[in-house]
Amino acid sequence: MFDYTFQWGQAMARLPRMLDGAVVTMQIAVLSMALGIALAILLTVLRLSGSRPLMAVATTWVEIARNTPALFQIYMAHFGVASFGLYLSPFASILVGITFNNAGYLTENFRGALKAIPDTQSRAGRSLGMSQIQAFRYIVMPQMLRISFLPMTNQMVWAILMTSLGVTVGMNSDLYGVTQDLNALTFRTFELFAIAAVIFYVITKTITLGGRLIASRLFRY
Amino acid sequence: MFDTSLTLRDLMFLAEGAGVTILVTAISVVIGTLLGILFGVIRTQLGPVLSAPLTFVLDIFRSVPLLIQLVLGNAFVGMVLQIQISGFTVACMVLSLYTSAYCAEIVRGGIEAVPETTRRAARSLGMTWGQDMRYIVMPLATRVALPSWIGLALGVMKDSALVYVVQVTELLKSTQILITRLQEPLFLLLICGAFYFIISFPLARFGGYLERRWSND
Amino acid sequence: MKKLTLLAALAGLVGIAGTAQADKLDDIMASGTLRCAVVLDFPPMGMRDENNEPIGFDVDYCRDLAAALGVEAEIVETPFPERIPALMSGRVDVGVASTSDTLERAKTVGFSIPYFAFEMAVTANTGTGISSYEGMKGFTVGAVAGTYEAIALEAQVNEWGEGTFRPYQTQADVFLALSQGQLDATVSTSTVAQANVQSGNFENIQVVGFAPFDTDYVALFARRDEYGLLNYLDLFVNQQIRTGRYEELYEKWVGGEVPRLTIPNAHR
Repeated sequence: MFDYTFQWGQAMARLPRMLDGAVVTMQIAVLSMALGIALAILLTVLRLSGSRPLMAVATTWVEIARNTPALFQIYMAHFGVASFGLYLSPFASILVGITFNNAGYLTENFRGALKAIPDTQSRAGRSLGMSQIQAFRYIVMPQMLRISFLPMTNQMVWAILMTSLGVTVGMNSDLYGVTQDLNALTFRTFELFAIAAVIFYVITKTITLGGRLIASRLFRY
Repeated sequence: MFDTSLTLRDLMFLAEGAGVTILVTAISVVIGTLLGILFGVIRTQLGPVLSAPLTFVLDIFRSVPLLIQLVLGNAFVGMVLQIQISGFTVACMVLSLYTSAYCAEIVRGGIEAVPETTRRAARSLGMTWGQDMRYIVMPLATRVALPSWIGLALGVMKDSALVYVVQVTELLKSTQILITRLQEPLFLLLICGAFYFIISFPLARFGGYLERRWSND
Repeated sequence: MKKLTLLAALAGLVGIAGTAQADKLDDIMASGTLRCAVVLDFPPMGMRDENNEPIGFDVDYCRDLAAALGVEAEIVETPFPERIPALMSGRVDVGVASTSDTLERAKTVGFSIPYFAFEMAVTANTGTGISSYEGMKGFTVGAVAGTYEAIALEAQVNEWGEGTFRPYQTQADVFLALSQGQLDATVSTSTVAQANVQSGNFENIQVVGFAPFDTDYVALFARRDEYGLLNYLDLFVNQQIRTGRYEELYEKWVGGEVPRLTIPNAHR
């Protein structure tokens, strides 16, 4: 009974709405990466600070982000923190959830990158009269970001893929949310999700290849 | 202090969900790793041009959200192929392929980390390709690959939270079912999160330890 | 309208080589099990008891159907958005899942005659002061993604031009969000609204009125091409009403006046 008849026309007619969804997906991913990088730099500084409580904060963040499912983190950002009377809109919830995850993984990437930067460099900076913060800001950080550029593009791809979890906290304007809504309307599951998969593929491939191109242009050693 | 209507029976229900999470993960990681090793070796043997079709297919599993892979896999097997298999089987199949795509990358990275000169030396000593792979490449590549592989296995466990979409009641889904009845979201979510953490954290630490130890010599 | 030619050819070969094809109805009787898609966070239609076992109107309805067919019933929990994928992928044989029989959906699946009808009610968080359907204008409202009421409510919010609409994956999430104050009000079936308010789980929500949507007739569903099964389902629904079982189940799970399942001045 291989008699399934594909109705691509019905699904393709909804392509414009899905592309609008893809734009929202991109917005979430870009914002969560920008915020994630900023937070990861902060967490890296906390880790290097030498203060036990601050290091504990950073470590807790990183370990929770890396050792629980992203779906759990996003669900928590919406329904969990609401128990404390803090209400996040679906957009804010998914953004907070993914940013939390990004920051944790990126901090770990930065840690790896720091190993590749000899300690002597920041000591040289210090002996030139720079403060510890200045030495980090002007000597270590630029190299750290450069070394972790490719891992960052990988994390960006992850951020794109994670936006699909937004439906669990009431998102319906991102690509996955739009696809699911259309599916509820027409029940054309296979066709709609296949199109969504292609759009996701194109977006993530563009990021990966674009990242490599930029890296090969900018960071030639 | 904890005023909860959570009963022992509910805890058993959660434990059952946790069991499903572990089972799905174990099956997918074992099958995915075997496939991943196969794909990884094929890719290094054939070179980038000849293995392009394989690379392309594996790439799809790394470029499309797992949620969509599960929905599509489910719809394809059932609607198009009309094969009657359980959601559990679909979940394991999709997760295995998903694992294999990442594992192939790790294996390839491991093999490529073995210096070409070392391998040529082995071959010039009269070793066959198989012997070279078995006695030279495998031990060296494993050192490079194992820490990433542990990371991958833990990643699969966390991603298995998504198999609820094909009607598999794993840990997070069991938690949601209990939230529906008991209306204690924060408490139940914390139990659920703690479970993932307790399994994942020590193994992640062990992976980090191996990485540090092996990168020193 | 493209068919998978290769697969179709294969199917042809199998058809020639094999025996006469058994249809779904035969398959169910042969397998001894009827697998029903039921939504289990939709009280009183589908929910779980303290042993986390499925109970509810739809659960009983599925068991009745299985009994009529002389097979065992297997309840497969399916969240609202997963009902059709579960059916199309052959994970379930029939849906007893409070599914609205819209024309758009009937292009994909086959529906029986209606087996239940819902009125839509507005439930609000008491802190908001919302006291009617119109009162929701400008507030944050939500419903379960992909349901009849969600589609109608989203259209209404767009028409009002103010306020926000949020779809959640499950009925449980909607009421959780409502009681937490993340949603100000929701439109759901009146049975669900009453069941949740009476459950005692939420102190700060109450039913404030009816939503002026058309009556939501829900039907059993099966694969569109399984005429034998669909035919059986029609007769089964009819028999449930004829024998008084429908009223009995309604009294057991819902109570009150039994909704009419026929439409005045219509043939079917």
